[in-house]
Amino acid sequence: MLKMTHLSKVYRTEVVETYALRDFNIDVKEGEFVAVTGPSGSGKTTFLTIAGLLETFTGGHYHLDGIEVSQLNDNARSKIRNEKIGFIFQAFNLIPDLNVYDNVEVPLRYRGMKGAERKQRIMDALERVGLASRAKHYPAELSGGQQQRVAIARALAGSPRLLLADEPTGNLDTQMARGVMELLEEIHREGATIVMVTHDPELAARAQRNVHIIDGQVVDLSEEPRFHAQNARVADA
Amino acid sequence: MDIKPILAALRHHKGGTALIALQIALTLAIVCNALFIIQQRLDRVGRPSGVQESDLFVIQNDWAQKLAPAEADARMRADLQTLRQLGSVQDASASNSFPLHGAGWDNFVRMSPDQVKMTTDSAIFFADEHTLATLGTRLAAGRNFRADEIGSQTGNDPLHARQVIISDGLARTLFPHGSALGKTIYTSNDQSPSTVIGITGTLQSHLTELWAQPYAYNAVLVPARLTGDSTFYLVRARPGQLVDAMRQAQDALYAQSRMRIIPADGGVMTFAQARQRAYDADYGMAILMGIISAVLLVITAAGIVGLTSFWVGQRRKQIGVRRALGARQRDILGYFLTENLLITLGGLLLGVVLAVALNLWLVIRLGSQPMSPLYLAGGVLLLLLLGQGAVLAPALKASRVPPVEATRSV
Repeated sequence: MLKMTHLSKVYRTEVVETYALRDFNIDVKEGEFVAVTGPSGSGKTTFLTIAGLLETFTGGHYHLDGIEVSQLNDNARSKIRNEKIGFIFQAFNLIPDLNVYDNVEVPLRYRGMKGAERKQRIMDALERVGLASRAKHYPAELSGGQQQRVAIARALAGSPRLLLADEPTGNLDTQMARGVMELLEEIHREGATIVMVTHDPELAARAQRNVHIIDGQVVDLSEEPRFHAQNARVADA
Repeated sequence: MDIKPILAALRHHKGGTALIALQIALTLAIVCNALFIIQQRLDRVGRPSGVQESDLFVIQNDWAQKLAPAEADARMRADLQTLRQLGSVQDASASNSFPLHGAGWDNFVRMSPDQVKMTTDSAIFFADEHTLATLGTRLAAGRNFRADEIGSQTGNDPLHARQVIISDGLARTLFPHGSALGKTIYTSNDQSPSTVIGITGTLQSHLTELWAQPYAYNAVLVPARLTGDSTFYLVRARPGQLVDAMRQAQDALYAQSRMRIIPADGGVMTFAQARQRAYDADYGMAILMGIISAVLLVITAAGIVGLTSFWVGQRRKQIGVRRALGARQRDILGYFLTENLLITLGGLLLGVVLAVALNLWLVIRLGSQPMSPLYLAGGVLLLLLLGQGAVLAPALKASRVPPVEATRSV
């Protein structure tokens, strides 16, 4: 589903080159639930933005659902983002001027979907996250957990092949975080491929596989879950 | 582009939206009416005078002392003979006024001696057998004055003109269903009749004010020299000799007699200068309206650029989110263009109402003419183009916001 080989991302200024990712390799299979952990500045978010085609990379290869994305133009990247990827952001990133229904509708409109199908998908997605009754509410009228559920509904409505979650519970209290995590697990059980960046070792432990990033490179800890947990706590500290 | 979510978003920015729409509405109302006024003024300025204006000039002659009527008449005849003998001069005539001069005589014209209410108003030009040739005004029907028909009178004498030549415009007003030639009209309060012996082609009155618009082409030529403190000598130079003729004419008149004053400022002026003076206020009004329109359009464009730029800055993260969710650059561009179009259309709708109301007020209070709907259509098109042009730069800037902006904290 998602395969990066020898991928690098370099930020250049006039005086310095900074490697955010260096010789970065990862292979996420279809249907996997992968947690990506690592200390601050390790390159987790850079990995996620490249994986989500939100920015380009400097070298190497990236295949998403069998497509080599490095040569795609902006329109093609937009189309892939719209059709194949669902995003869940730490800050929810709902559009404050639009109500819940309209927020979930945003990616579907960009897909050019007909009104009736849009409506069906939106209501299905909102039912799924338990917020169908809040369709006419604005984000400011919802709790953080509810807002994140709306964001998940927005991501699910387009039936993406890959769900990318960036600290999805980072802005939530424990109870709300648990609810969101259970929702993600449920979505995964139904066959979705999920890549989740998190600082939280407890959440990471609930994923199928953990990928640890340090200094822009991958350390696969899937064979050593205990070590991973300890390491994650150290990193977190 | 779906407008429902754009309208939904605009509802959350009512203040800015209403302000810019109101600005567009006021601009449309003022610019439409200003353009209409400009066009009206330019139409007035461009009207034909009926005079061959090139090679024609006017000398204002003020006598330096009080003259008896006979003495003044003798001096005027001598002056005219002197002017006509100049090599650079083709012809010359004396009159109390001339087309576009602004000041002069205008009398009520009646169709019968006991008629109480006037039929129309008309300029009175004192003339002789040289006047039509000097003005370069053609005679459309009838005959010119003969030399023996030319008399003289003072301004205090009642107007006794047995024969008159009238302008084509006046003829059509007085006799819309037949020829005026040979007919009798009354141009004086003492009920003395005048027979129309000739009809000129187009000949404009001395009146240029807006109120005199209905009488602008009414003129009666009276066969007399008006003796008084001053007179105008109308002089036609031979083709291409205007400058020489103006200098020689002034020198010749002073050589004839120093007992006169020809004002240094405008005492000798070409007809082109007279036309410019006549329409100074119109040119001024047209320029003023043009400046007001341009300033308003610039302010409105700046307002749109400013507001959209502010909104783009404010919604940078939101744009990034939209891009992350699949919006292409052209979707973002389209979003802002459509949003601005909706605001502009709202403003224009209100603006059309305001423009019509303003025009009605001008019609009722200031006697202006009703504005043609074409000005509204033109104004709407102009502001639509202006609005979309103004929003283009900030909208393009918005479209270049990268999708990764969605992941950045504010």
